[in-house]
Amino acid sequence: MRKVAVVAGGVSTWGVRSATWGELVQEAGNALFSSARSLGAKDVDSLFVGAAQPERFAFQSHVAPMTAELLGLHPWKVLRRNELACASGQAAIQDAYAAIASGLSDVAVVLGVEKMNIPSMAEATTSMANVLDRAWDGVQGGTAPPFFAMAAQRHMHEYGTTAEQMALVSVKNHKFANTNPKSQFYSKTFTKEKILSSPMVSPPLRLGDCSSMTDGSGAVLLVSEEKARTYTDTPVWISATAQYTDFHNLANMPSLSSWTGLKKAASELYQKGGIDPTDIDFAEVHDCFTISEIIEYEELGFCKKGQGGKFIQEGQSDLGGKVTVNPRGGLLGCGHPLGATGIGQAVEVLEQFQSKVPAARHVKDAEVALTHNLSGSANVHTLTLYRREN
Amino acid sequence: MPQTPSLLDFYPLEDEKSTRISKFFDNVRQGHFTTTRCTKDQSVHWPPRVVCPQCHGEALEWIELPKKGRLFAFSALLLGLPMGMEGEAGAVVGMVELDGWPIKIFSRIANAKYEDCHIGDAVEWDPYTLADGRVFFRFRKPAAPPPA
Repeated sequence: MRKVAVVAGGVSTWGVRSATWGELVQEAGNALFSSARSLGAKDVDSLFVGAAQPERFAFQSHVAPMTAELLGLHPWKVLRRNELACASGQAAIQDAYAAIASGLSDVAVVLGVEKMNIPSMAEATTSMANVLDRAWDGVQGGTAPPFFAMAAQRHMHEYGTTAEQMALVSVKNHKFANTNPKSQFYSKTFTKEKILSSPMVSPPLRLGDCSSMTDGSGAVLLVSEEKARTYTDTPVWISATAQYTDFHNLANMPSLSSWTGLKKAASELYQKGGIDPTDIDFAEVHDCFTISEIIEYEELGFCKKGQGGKFIQEGQSDLGGKVTVNPRGGLLGCGHPLGATGIGQAVEVLEQFQSKVPAARHVKDAEVALTHNLSGSANVHTLTLYRREN
Repeated sequence: MPQTPSLLDFYPLEDEKSTRISKFFDNVRQGHFTTTRCTKDQSVHWPPRVVCPQCHGEALEWIELPKKGRLFAFSALLLGLPMGMEGEAGAVVGMVELDGWPIKIFSRIANAKYEDCHIGDAVEWDPYTLADGRVFFRFRKPAAPPPA
Protein backbone atom coordinates (compact mmCIF):
# COMPACT_ATOMS: atom_id res chain seq x y z
CA MET A 1 0.00 0.00 0.00
CA ARG A 2 1.28 3.46 -0.91
CA LYS A 3 0.98 6.36 1.50
CA VAL A 4 -1.77 8.86 0.71
CA ALA A 5 -1.83 12.55 1.63
CA VAL A 6 -4.49 15.23 1.73
CA VAL A 7 -2.78 18.34 0.40
CA ALA A 8 -5.48 20.91 -0.31
CA GLY A 9 -9.16 21.56 0.24
CA GLY A 10 -11.90 24.09 0.57
CA VAL A 11 -15.63 24.48 0.98
CA SER A 12 -18.35 26.74 -0.34
CA THR A 13 -20.47 28.80 2.00
CA TRP A 14 -23.04 26.44 3.56
CA GLY A 15 -26.64 27.33 4.29
CA VAL A 16 -29.84 28.10 2.44
CA ARG A 17 -28.17 29.13 -0.77
CA SER A 18 -29.41 30.93 -3.87
CA ALA A 19 -27.43 28.52 -6.00
CA THR A 20 -28.10 25.37 -8.02
CA TRP A 21 -26.46 21.98 -7.53
CA GLY A 22 -24.06 22.67 -10.40
CA GLU A 23 -23.19 26.12 -9.10
CA LEU A 24 -22.32 24.62 -5.72
CA VAL A 25 -20.02 22.15 -7.50
CA GLN A 26 -18.20 25.02 -9.18
CA GLU A 27 -17.82 26.88 -5.88
CA ALA A 28 -16.18 23.83 -4.30
CA GLY A 29 -13.87 23.40 -7.25
CA ASN A 30 -12.85 27.03 -7.04
CA ALA A 31 -12.19 26.69 -3.30
CA LEU A 32 -9.97 23.67 -3.96
CA PHE A 33 -7.98 25.05 -6.87
CA SER A 34 -7.31 28.30 -5.01
CA SER A 35 -6.04 26.40 -1.97
CA ALA A 36 -3.49 24.18 -3.73
CA ARG A 37 -0.10 25.36 -4.87
CA SER A 38 0.36 24.89 -8.62
CA LEU A 39 -2.60 22.56 -9.16
CA GLY A 40 -3.76 22.44 -12.75
CA ALA A 41 -6.77 20.64 -14.17
CA LYS A 42 -4.45 18.54 -16.32
CA ASP A 43 -2.80 17.12 -13.17
CA VAL A 44 -5.99 15.45 -11.95
CA ASP A 45 -6.16 11.85 -13.11
CA SER A 46 -9.21 10.83 -11.04
CA LEU A 47 -12.42 12.33 -9.71
CA PHE A 48 -14.63 11.00 -6.91
CA VAL A 49 -17.98 12.66 -6.24
CA GLY A 50 -19.88 12.22 -2.99
CA ALA A 51 -23.54 13.04 -3.59
CA ALA A 52 -26.38 11.42 -1.68
CA GLN A 53 -29.56 12.30 -3.53
CA PRO A 54 -29.01 14.50 -6.60
CA GLU A 55 -31.69 12.45 -8.36
CA ARG A 56 -34.28 13.57 -5.81
CA PHE A 57 -33.10 17.06 -4.81
CA ALA A 58 -31.81 18.28 -8.17
CA PHE A 59 -33.36 15.75 -10.62
CA GLN A 60 -29.91 14.93 -11.93
CA SER A 61 -28.14 11.61 -12.21
CA HIS A 62 -24.83 10.61 -13.84
CA VAL A 63 -23.28 13.39 -11.80
CA ALA A 64 -19.61 12.38 -11.92
CA PRO A 65 -19.07 13.39 -15.57
CA MET A 66 -21.20 16.47 -15.02
CA THR A 67 -18.92 17.44 -12.12
CA ALA A 68 -15.84 16.82 -14.27
CA GLU A 69 -17.19 19.13 -16.94
CA LEU A 70 -18.05 21.83 -14.38
CA LEU A 71 -14.47 21.73 -13.04
CA GLY A 72 -12.81 21.48 -16.42
CA LEU A 73 -11.40 18.05 -15.59
CA HIS A 74 -10.80 15.11 -17.89
CA PRO A 75 -10.06 12.21 -15.51
CA TRP A 76 -8.40 9.33 -17.30
CA LYS A 77 -7.90 6.85 -14.46
CA VAL A 78 -10.92 6.67 -12.15
CA LEU A 79 -14.28 8.49 -12.34
CA ARG A 80 -16.87 7.61 -9.67
CA ARG A 81 -19.92 8.86 -7.82
CA ASN A 82 -20.42 7.56 -4.29
CA GLU A 83 -23.79 7.35 -2.53
CA LEU A 84 -23.81 6.43 1.15
CA ALA A 85 -26.43 8.87 2.37
CA CYS A 86 -24.95 11.14 5.06
CA ALA A 87 -21.51 9.50 4.70
CA SER A 88 -21.26 9.92 0.92
CA GLY A 89 -18.45 12.48 1.16
CA GLN A 90 -16.24 10.52 3.53
CA ALA A 91 -16.92 7.30 1.60
CA ALA A 92 -15.75 9.08 -1.56
CA ILE A 93 -12.55 10.08 0.26
CA GLN A 94 -12.02 6.46 1.23
CA ASP A 95 -12.53 5.34 -2.38
CA ALA A 96 -9.92 7.86 -3.54
CA TYR A 97 -7.59 6.72 -0.75
CA ALA A 98 -7.95 3.11 -1.92
CA ALA A 99 -7.33 4.07 -5.53
CA ILE A 100 -4.15 5.99 -4.71
CA ALA A 101 -2.88 3.47 -2.15
CA SER A 102 -3.28 0.68 -4.69
CA GLY A 103 -1.55 2.59 -7.47
CA LEU A 104 -4.60 3.09 -9.69
CA SER A 105 -4.43 6.85 -9.24
CA ASP A 106 -1.83 9.48 -8.30
CA VAL A 107 -3.78 12.73 -8.11
CA ALA A 108 -7.49 12.64 -7.22
CA VAL A 109 -10.07 15.31 -6.56
CA VAL A 110 -12.81 14.31 -4.11
CA LEU A 111 -15.83 16.60 -4.25
CA GLY A 112 -18.92 16.41 -2.07
CA VAL A 113 -22.11 18.32 -2.71
CA GLU A 114 -25.77 18.47 -1.81
CA LYS A 115 -28.57 20.86 -2.72
CA MET A 116 -31.27 20.19 -0.12
CA ASN A 117 -33.35 23.34 0.07
CA ILE A 118 -35.98 22.95 -2.63
CA PRO A 119 -39.36 24.69 -2.92
CA SER A 120 -41.24 21.95 -1.03
CA MET A 121 -39.62 21.00 2.27
CA ALA A 122 -42.15 18.16 2.62
CA GLU A 123 -40.87 16.73 -0.67
CA ALA A 124 -37.29 17.03 0.58
CA THR A 125 -38.24 15.28 3.82
CA THR A 126 -39.89 12.52 1.81
CA SER A 127 -36.60 11.97 0.04
CA MET A 128 -34.75 11.87 3.36
CA ALA A 129 -37.14 9.14 4.53
CA ASN A 130 -35.93 6.97 1.64
CA VAL A 131 -32.66 6.55 3.51
CA LEU A 132 -34.52 4.18 5.82
CA ASP A 133 -36.37 1.11 4.57
CA ARG A 134 -39.06 3.14 2.80
CA ALA A 135 -41.69 0.44 2.30
CA TRP A 136 -41.64 -0.75 5.94
CA ASP A 137 -40.19 2.02 8.14
CA GLY A 138 -40.66 5.15 6.01
CA VAL A 139 -44.32 4.34 5.44
CA GLN A 140 -44.87 4.36 9.21
CA GLY A 141 -43.44 7.88 9.50
CA GLY A 142 -39.85 6.84 9.95
CA THR A 143 -37.52 9.73 9.24
CA ALA A 144 -34.33 10.81 11.01
CA PRO A 145 -35.89 12.93 13.80
CA PRO A 146 -38.18 10.25 15.30
CA PHE A 147 -35.45 7.62 15.01
CA PHE A 148 -32.85 9.70 16.85
CA ALA A 149 -35.56 10.84 19.27
CA MET A 150 -36.11 7.22 20.26
CA ALA A 151 -32.36 6.76 20.66
CA ALA A 152 -32.37 9.79 22.97
CA GLN A 153 -35.36 8.49 24.90
CA ARG A 154 -33.70 5.12 25.51
CA HIS A 155 -30.37 6.75 26.45
CA MET A 156 -32.16 8.98 28.94
CA HIS A 157 -34.13 5.98 30.25
CA GLU A 158 -31.12 3.68 30.60
CA TYR A 159 -28.35 6.10 31.62
CA GLY A 160 -30.06 9.20 32.98
CA THR A 161 -28.89 11.51 30.19
CA THR A 162 -30.74 14.83 30.31
CA ALA A 163 -32.16 17.32 27.82
CA GLU A 164 -29.83 19.91 29.32
CA GLN A 165 -26.76 17.76 28.56
CA MET A 166 -27.95 17.31 24.97
CA ALA A 167 -28.42 21.08 24.65
CA LEU A 168 -24.82 21.61 25.77
CA VAL A 169 -23.63 19.70 22.69
CA SER A 170 -25.51 22.17 20.52
CA VAL A 171 -24.17 25.16 22.47
CA LYS A 172 -20.57 23.95 22.06
CA ASN A 173 -20.85 23.25 18.35
CA HIS A 174 -22.66 26.48 17.57
CA LYS A 175 -19.97 28.34 19.53
CA PHE A 176 -17.33 26.78 17.27
CA ALA A 177 -19.44 27.55 14.19
CA ASN A 178 -19.33 31.22 15.19
CA THR A 179 -15.61 31.07 14.31
CA ASN A 180 -16.30 29.53 10.88
CA PRO A 181 -17.58 32.02 8.26
CA LYS A 182 -18.50 29.17 5.88
CA SER A 183 -20.94 27.61 8.38
CA GLN A 184 -24.71 27.87 8.15
CA PHE A 185 -25.05 29.44 11.61
CA TYR A 186 -21.91 31.57 11.63
CA SER A 187 -23.71 34.72 12.72
CA LYS A 188 -26.30 33.18 15.07
CA THR A 189 -25.84 32.72 18.80
CA PHE A 190 -27.34 29.75 20.62
CA THR A 191 -27.59 29.59 24.39
CA LYS A 192 -28.69 26.58 26.40
CA GLU A 193 -31.91 28.38 27.27
CA LYS A 194 -32.60 29.15 23.60
CA ILE A 195 -32.13 25.50 22.64
CA LEU A 196 -34.24 24.19 25.50
CA SER A 197 -37.09 26.52 24.54
CA SER A 198 -36.92 25.89 20.78
CA PRO A 199 -39.88 24.11 19.13
CA MET A 200 -40.18 20.38 19.65
CA VAL A 201 -39.49 18.40 16.44
CA SER A 202 -39.75 14.82 17.71
CA PRO A 203 -39.75 14.66 21.49
CA PRO A 204 -37.42 14.73 23.32
CA LEU A 205 -35.54 16.40 20.42
CA ARG A 206 -36.11 20.09 19.83
CA LEU A 207 -35.13 22.17 16.83
CA GLY A 208 -31.91 23.14 18.60
CA ASP A 209 -30.99 19.45 18.89
CA CYS A 210 -31.23 18.90 15.13
CA SER A 211 -28.90 19.65 12.24
CA SER A 212 -30.39 21.44 9.27
CA MET A 213 -31.26 20.96 5.63
CA THR A 214 -28.28 22.62 3.99
CA ASP A 215 -26.95 23.52 0.56
CA GLY A 216 -23.21 23.20 0.39
CA SER A 217 -20.15 21.67 -1.19
CA GLY A 218 -16.49 21.02 -0.60
CA ALA A 219 -13.50 19.42 -2.25
CA VAL A 220 -10.14 17.97 -1.21
CA LEU A 221 -7.11 16.87 -3.17
CA LEU A 222 -5.60 13.45 -2.38
CA VAL A 223 -2.25 12.47 -3.82
CA SER A 224 0.42 9.81 -3.56
CA GLU A 225 3.46 10.37 -1.34
CA GLU A 226 5.65 11.12 -4.36
CA LYS A 227 3.37 14.00 -5.40
CA ALA A 228 2.54 15.39 -1.96
CA ARG A 229 5.07 18.20 -1.75
CA THR A 230 4.27 19.41 -5.23
CA TYR A 231 1.11 20.95 -3.84
CA THR A 232 1.92 21.89 -0.22
CA ASP A 233 4.73 21.94 2.32
CA THR A 234 2.40 20.56 4.99
CA PRO A 235 0.55 17.47 3.78
CA VAL A 236 -1.78 15.55 6.08
CA TRP A 237 -1.64 11.76 6.00
CA ILE A 238 -4.44 9.23 5.98
CA SER A 239 -3.37 6.65 8.53
CA ALA A 240 -6.32 4.21 8.50
CA THR A 241 -9.96 3.77 7.51
CA ALA A 242 -12.76 1.59 8.88
CA GLN A 243 -16.44 0.93 8.28
CA TYR A 244 -19.14 -1.29 9.74
CA THR A 245 -22.81 -1.95 9.11
CA ASP A 246 -25.04 -4.30 11.04
CA PHE A 247 -28.64 -3.70 9.95
CA HIS A 248 -30.96 -1.66 7.78
CA ASN A 249 -34.59 -2.23 8.71
CA LEU A 250 -35.10 -0.85 12.21
CA ALA A 251 -36.38 -4.23 13.41
CA ASN A 252 -32.89 -5.64 12.99
CA MET A 253 -31.12 -2.96 15.03
CA PRO A 254 -29.19 -4.44 17.98
CA SER A 255 -29.79 -1.43 20.24
CA LEU A 256 -31.12 2.13 20.10
CA SER A 257 -28.78 3.47 22.76
CA SER A 258 -25.60 1.45 22.08
CA TRP A 259 -24.26 1.74 18.55
CA THR A 260 -22.35 -1.51 18.38
CA GLY A 261 -21.42 -0.90 14.75
CA LEU A 262 -19.52 2.25 15.70
CA LYS A 263 -17.75 0.47 18.53
CA LYS A 264 -16.60 -2.25 16.11
CA ALA A 265 -15.50 0.23 13.45
CA ALA A 266 -13.60 2.31 16.01
CA SER A 267 -11.84 -0.78 17.35
CA GLU A 268 -10.72 -1.66 13.83
CA LEU A 269 -9.58 1.91 13.15
CA TYR A 270 -7.53 2.10 16.33
CA GLN A 271 -5.95 -1.29 15.67
CA LYS A 272 -5.03 -0.36 12.09
CA GLY A 273 -3.68 3.00 13.24
CA GLY A 274 -1.75 1.55 16.17
CA ILE A 275 -3.39 3.90 18.66
CA ASP A 276 -6.02 3.99 21.38
CA PRO A 277 -8.74 6.62 21.97
CA THR A 278 -6.51 8.66 24.30
CA ASP A 279 -4.21 9.41 21.34
CA ILE A 280 -6.94 11.33 19.50
CA ASP A 281 -6.33 15.09 19.76
CA PHE A 282 -9.54 16.15 18.07
CA ALA A 283 -12.45 14.47 16.33
CA GLU A 284 -14.94 15.57 13.71
CA VAL A 285 -17.95 13.38 14.47
CA HIS A 286 -21.48 13.09 13.12
CA ASP A 287 -23.65 15.26 15.36
CA CYS A 288 -26.73 15.12 13.15
CA PHE A 289 -28.59 15.30 16.47
CA THR A 290 -27.21 16.19 19.89
CA ILE A 291 -27.81 12.67 21.20
CA SER A 292 -25.65 11.31 18.38
CA GLU A 293 -22.55 13.11 19.62
CA ILE A 294 -23.17 11.88 23.17
CA ILE A 295 -23.46 8.25 22.07
CA GLU A 296 -20.42 8.70 19.81
CA TYR A 297 -18.24 9.84 22.75
CA GLU A 298 -19.04 6.49 24.33
CA GLU A 299 -18.66 4.18 21.33
CA LEU A 300 -15.45 5.91 20.20
CA GLY A 301 -14.02 5.22 23.67
CA PHE A 302 -13.65 8.83 24.78
CA CYS A 303 -15.61 7.96 27.94
CA LYS A 304 -17.32 4.95 29.50
CA LYS A 305 -20.69 3.71 28.25
CA GLY A 306 -23.47 5.82 29.66
CA GLN A 307 -21.15 8.69 30.62
CA GLY A 308 -21.57 10.74 27.43
CA GLY A 309 -23.87 13.25 29.08
CA LYS A 310 -21.41 13.77 31.90
CA PHE A 311 -18.57 14.11 29.36
CA ILE A 312 -20.14 17.14 27.67
CA GLN A 313 -21.29 18.60 30.97
CA GLU A 314 -17.73 18.53 32.30
CA GLY A 315 -16.44 20.23 29.15
CA GLN A 316 -14.30 17.25 28.18
CA SER A 317 -15.20 17.59 24.48
CA ASP A 318 -14.56 21.33 24.39
CA LEU A 319 -11.29 23.02 23.48
CA GLY A 320 -8.89 22.16 26.28
CA GLY A 321 -10.82 19.04 27.33
CA LYS A 322 -9.76 15.42 26.94
CA VAL A 323 -10.53 15.45 23.21
CA THR A 324 -11.87 18.41 21.26
CA VAL A 325 -14.95 17.30 19.36
CA ASN A 326 -16.26 19.12 16.30
CA PRO A 327 -14.09 22.25 16.39
CA ARG A 328 -15.37 23.10 12.89
CA GLY A 329 -18.85 23.56 14.35
CA GLY A 330 -20.20 20.13 13.56
CA LEU A 331 -23.33 19.37 11.61
CA LEU A 332 -25.32 21.33 14.18
CA GLY A 333 -23.40 24.53 13.56
CA CYS A 334 -22.20 24.16 9.98
CA GLY A 335 -25.29 22.48 8.57
CA HIS A 336 -25.44 19.07 6.94
CA PRO A 337 -25.32 19.01 3.13
CA LEU A 338 -25.19 15.21 3.04
CA GLY A 339 -22.55 14.55 0.39
CA ALA A 340 -20.42 17.50 1.46
CA THR A 341 -20.30 16.91 5.21
CA GLY A 342 -17.47 14.38 5.17
CA ILE A 343 -15.48 16.69 2.90
CA GLY A 344 -16.00 19.62 5.24
CA GLN A 345 -14.67 17.50 8.11
CA ALA A 346 -11.55 16.57 6.10
CA VAL A 347 -10.94 20.22 5.24
CA GLU A 348 -11.11 21.03 8.96
CA VAL A 349 -8.53 18.34 9.74
CA LEU A 350 -6.24 19.75 7.04
CA GLU A 351 -6.61 23.34 8.22
CA GLN A 352 -6.22 22.39 11.90
CA PHE A 353 -2.94 20.58 11.19
CA GLN A 354 -1.81 23.46 8.97
CA SER A 355 -2.71 26.00 11.71
CA LYS A 356 -5.03 27.87 9.36
CA VAL A 357 -8.06 28.00 11.70
CA PRO A 358 -8.80 30.79 14.19
CA ALA A 359 -7.31 30.45 17.67
CA ALA A 360 -10.80 30.09 19.19
CA ARG A 361 -11.05 26.61 17.74
CA HIS A 362 -7.43 25.68 17.08
CA VAL A 363 -6.29 22.45 18.75
CA LYS A 364 -2.64 23.36 19.16
CA ASP A 365 0.07 20.79 18.57
CA ALA A 366 -2.47 18.21 17.43
CA GLU A 367 -0.94 15.13 15.84
CA VAL A 368 -3.82 12.67 15.45
CA ALA A 369 -7.45 13.26 14.42
CA LEU A 370 -10.38 11.19 13.30
CA THR A 371 -13.47 11.89 11.25
CA HIS A 372 -16.72 9.98 11.67
CA ASN A 373 -19.93 9.87 9.72
CA LEU A 374 -22.90 7.73 10.47
CA SER A 375 -25.51 7.23 7.79
CA GLY A 376 -29.16 6.26 7.81
CA SER A 377 -30.39 5.13 11.20
CA ALA A 378 -26.82 4.93 12.57
CA ASN A 379 -26.67 1.59 10.78
CA VAL A 380 -23.44 2.45 8.96
CA HIS A 381 -20.36 4.01 10.52
CA THR A 382 -17.48 5.36 8.44
CA LEU A 383 -14.20 6.41 10.07
CA THR A 384 -10.93 7.87 8.84
CA LEU A 385 -7.79 8.44 10.90
CA TYR A 386 -5.44 11.30 10.01
CA ARG A 387 -1.91 12.13 11.16
CA ARG A 388 0.03 15.38 10.83
CA GLU A 389 3.35 13.62 10.37
CA ASN A 390 4.06 10.87 7.87
CA MET B 1 -53.86 1.04 -8.19
CA PRO B 2 -51.86 3.75 -6.35
CA GLN B 3 -53.02 7.32 -6.89
CA THR B 4 -49.73 8.95 -5.85
CA PRO B 5 -46.71 9.04 -8.19
CA SER B 6 -44.48 6.15 -7.13
CA LEU B 7 -41.60 8.56 -6.50
CA LEU B 8 -43.52 10.02 -3.57
CA ASP B 9 -45.65 7.06 -2.51
CA PHE B 10 -44.45 5.32 0.64
CA TYR B 11 -46.78 2.35 0.39
CA PRO B 12 -45.36 -0.70 -1.36
CA LEU B 13 -46.92 -2.21 -4.45
CA GLU B 14 -48.43 -5.39 -3.11
CA ASP B 15 -50.03 -7.38 -5.92
CA GLU B 16 -48.59 -10.54 -7.46
CA LYS B 17 -47.33 -8.61 -10.50
CA SER B 18 -45.19 -6.40 -8.27
CA THR B 19 -43.82 -8.54 -5.46
CA ARG B 20 -43.15 -12.13 -4.48
CA ILE B 21 -44.46 -11.50 -0.96
CA SER B 22 -47.98 -10.53 -2.01
CA LYS B 23 -49.14 -13.22 0.42
CA PHE B 24 -48.17 -10.93 3.31
CA PHE B 25 -50.71 -8.39 2.10
CA ASP B 26 -53.32 -11.07 1.36
CA ASN B 27 -52.85 -12.24 4.94
CA VAL B 28 -53.32 -8.67 6.24
CA ARG B 29 -56.61 -8.54 4.32
CA GLN B 30 -57.71 -11.66 6.14
CA GLY B 31 -56.68 -10.31 9.53
CA HIS B 32 -53.42 -12.21 9.89
CA PHE B 33 -50.09 -10.63 10.87
CA THR B 34 -47.42 -12.82 9.33
CA THR B 35 -43.82 -13.01 8.26
CA THR B 36 -41.41 -15.57 6.83
CA ARG B 37 -39.34 -18.19 8.64
CA CYS B 38 -36.58 -20.28 7.12
CA THR B 39 -37.39 -23.99 7.29
CA LYS B 40 -33.68 -24.82 7.26
CA ASP B 41 -32.19 -22.64 10.01
CA GLN B 42 -35.50 -21.51 11.64
CA SER B 43 -34.54 -17.84 11.52
CA VAL B 44 -37.49 -15.45 11.58
CA HIS B 45 -37.27 -12.49 9.20
CA TRP B 46 -38.58 -8.97 9.30
CA PRO B 47 -39.67 -7.78 6.89
CA PRO B 48 -40.74 -10.93 5.01
CA ARG B 49 -38.10 -12.19 2.59
CA VAL B 50 -37.90 -14.47 -0.44
CA VAL B 51 -34.42 -15.74 0.47
CA CYS B 52 -33.14 -16.37 3.99
CA PRO B 53 -30.43 -13.71 4.63
CA GLN B 54 -28.72 -16.08 7.09
CA CYS B 55 -28.34 -19.31 5.07
CA HIS B 56 -29.51 -18.11 1.64
CA GLY B 57 -32.02 -20.92 1.46
CA GLU B 58 -35.27 -20.36 -0.42
CA ALA B 59 -37.44 -22.80 1.54
CA LEU B 60 -39.40 -20.29 3.63
CA GLU B 61 -42.73 -20.67 5.39
CA TRP B 62 -45.31 -18.14 6.53
CA ILE B 63 -45.82 -17.90 10.28
CA GLU B 64 -48.16 -15.87 12.45
CA LEU B 65 -46.70 -13.05 14.54
CA PRO B 66 -48.20 -11.94 17.86
CA LYS B 67 -50.72 -9.14 17.49
CA LYS B 68 -49.93 -7.72 20.87
CA GLY B 69 -46.81 -5.99 22.07
CA ARG B 70 -45.38 -3.21 24.19
CA LEU B 71 -43.78 0.14 23.51
CA PHE B 72 -40.00 -0.18 23.78
CA ALA B 73 -39.45 3.41 22.64
CA PHE B 74 -41.62 6.10 21.09
CA SER B 75 -41.72 9.66 19.81
CA ALA B 76 -44.07 11.87 17.80
CA LEU B 77 -43.98 13.61 14.42
CA LEU B 78 -44.39 17.31 15.19
CA LEU B 79 -42.29 19.14 12.58
CA GLY B 80 -40.80 18.17 9.22
CA LEU B 81 -43.41 15.62 8.21
CA PRO B 82 -42.93 14.00 4.79
CA MET B 83 -45.20 14.67 1.84
CA GLY B 84 -48.53 12.94 2.28
CA MET B 85 -48.21 13.03 6.07
CA GLU B 86 -48.32 16.82 6.55
CA GLY B 87 -51.81 16.60 8.04
CA GLU B 88 -50.76 14.08 10.65
CA ALA B 89 -48.73 16.31 12.96
CA GLY B 90 -48.74 14.84 16.44
CA ALA B 91 -48.81 11.24 15.22
CA VAL B 92 -47.03 8.86 17.59
CA VAL B 93 -44.47 6.35 16.31
CA GLY B 94 -42.59 3.72 18.24
CA MET B 95 -40.63 0.51 18.42
CA VAL B 96 -43.07 -2.24 19.35
CA GLU B 97 -41.66 -5.25 21.18
CA LEU B 98 -43.87 -8.16 20.12
CA ASP B 99 -45.01 -10.37 23.00
CA GLY B 100 -42.82 -13.45 23.19
CA TRP B 101 -40.81 -12.71 20.05
CA PRO B 102 -37.31 -11.31 19.61
CA ILE B 103 -38.56 -8.74 17.12
CA LYS B 104 -39.17 -5.04 17.59
CA ILE B 105 -41.09 -3.43 14.74
CA PHE B 106 -41.19 0.28 13.98
CA SER B 107 -44.77 1.40 13.62
CA ARG B 108 -47.24 4.22 13.75
CA ILE B 109 -49.11 4.09 17.07
CA ALA B 110 -52.75 5.01 16.51
CA ASN B 111 -55.23 6.11 19.14
CA ALA B 112 -52.41 7.64 21.17
CA LYS B 113 -51.17 11.00 22.36
CA TYR B 114 -47.44 11.34 23.02
CA GLU B 115 -48.08 12.82 26.45
CA ASP B 116 -50.10 9.78 27.50
CA CYS B 117 -47.59 7.15 26.33
CA HIS B 118 -45.02 5.37 28.49
CA ILE B 119 -42.31 2.79 27.83
CA GLY B 120 -43.94 -0.61 28.35
CA ASP B 121 -47.47 0.46 27.38
CA ALA B 122 -49.52 -2.29 25.71
CA VAL B 123 -50.36 -1.93 22.00
CA GLU B 124 -52.19 -4.14 19.52
CA TRP B 125 -51.91 -4.79 15.78
CA ASP B 126 -54.23 -2.67 13.64
CA PRO B 127 -54.61 -3.41 9.90
CA TYR B 128 -56.16 -0.79 7.61
CA THR B 129 -57.17 -0.31 3.99
CA LEU B 130 -56.07 2.60 1.77
CA ALA B 131 -58.46 4.45 -0.54
CA ASP B 132 -56.92 2.67 -3.52
CA GLY B 133 -57.58 -0.75 -2.03
CA ARG B 134 -54.08 -1.53 -0.81
CA VAL B 135 -53.69 -2.62 2.80
CA PHE B 136 -51.12 -2.00 5.48
CA PHE B 137 -50.88 -2.10 9.26
CA ARG B 138 -49.94 -0.09 12.30
CA PHE B 139 -50.31 -0.66 16.02
CA ARG B 140 -52.74 1.12 18.31
CA LYS B 141 -53.28 1.65 21.97
CA PRO B 142 -56.27 -0.43 23.07
CA ALA B 143 -59.50 1.42 23.64
CA ALA B 144 -60.01 2.28 27.28
CA PRO B 145 -62.45 -0.08 29.03
CA PRO B 146 -65.89 1.39 29.57
CA PRO B 147 -66.45 2.86 33.03
CA ALA B 148 -67.77 0.35 35.53
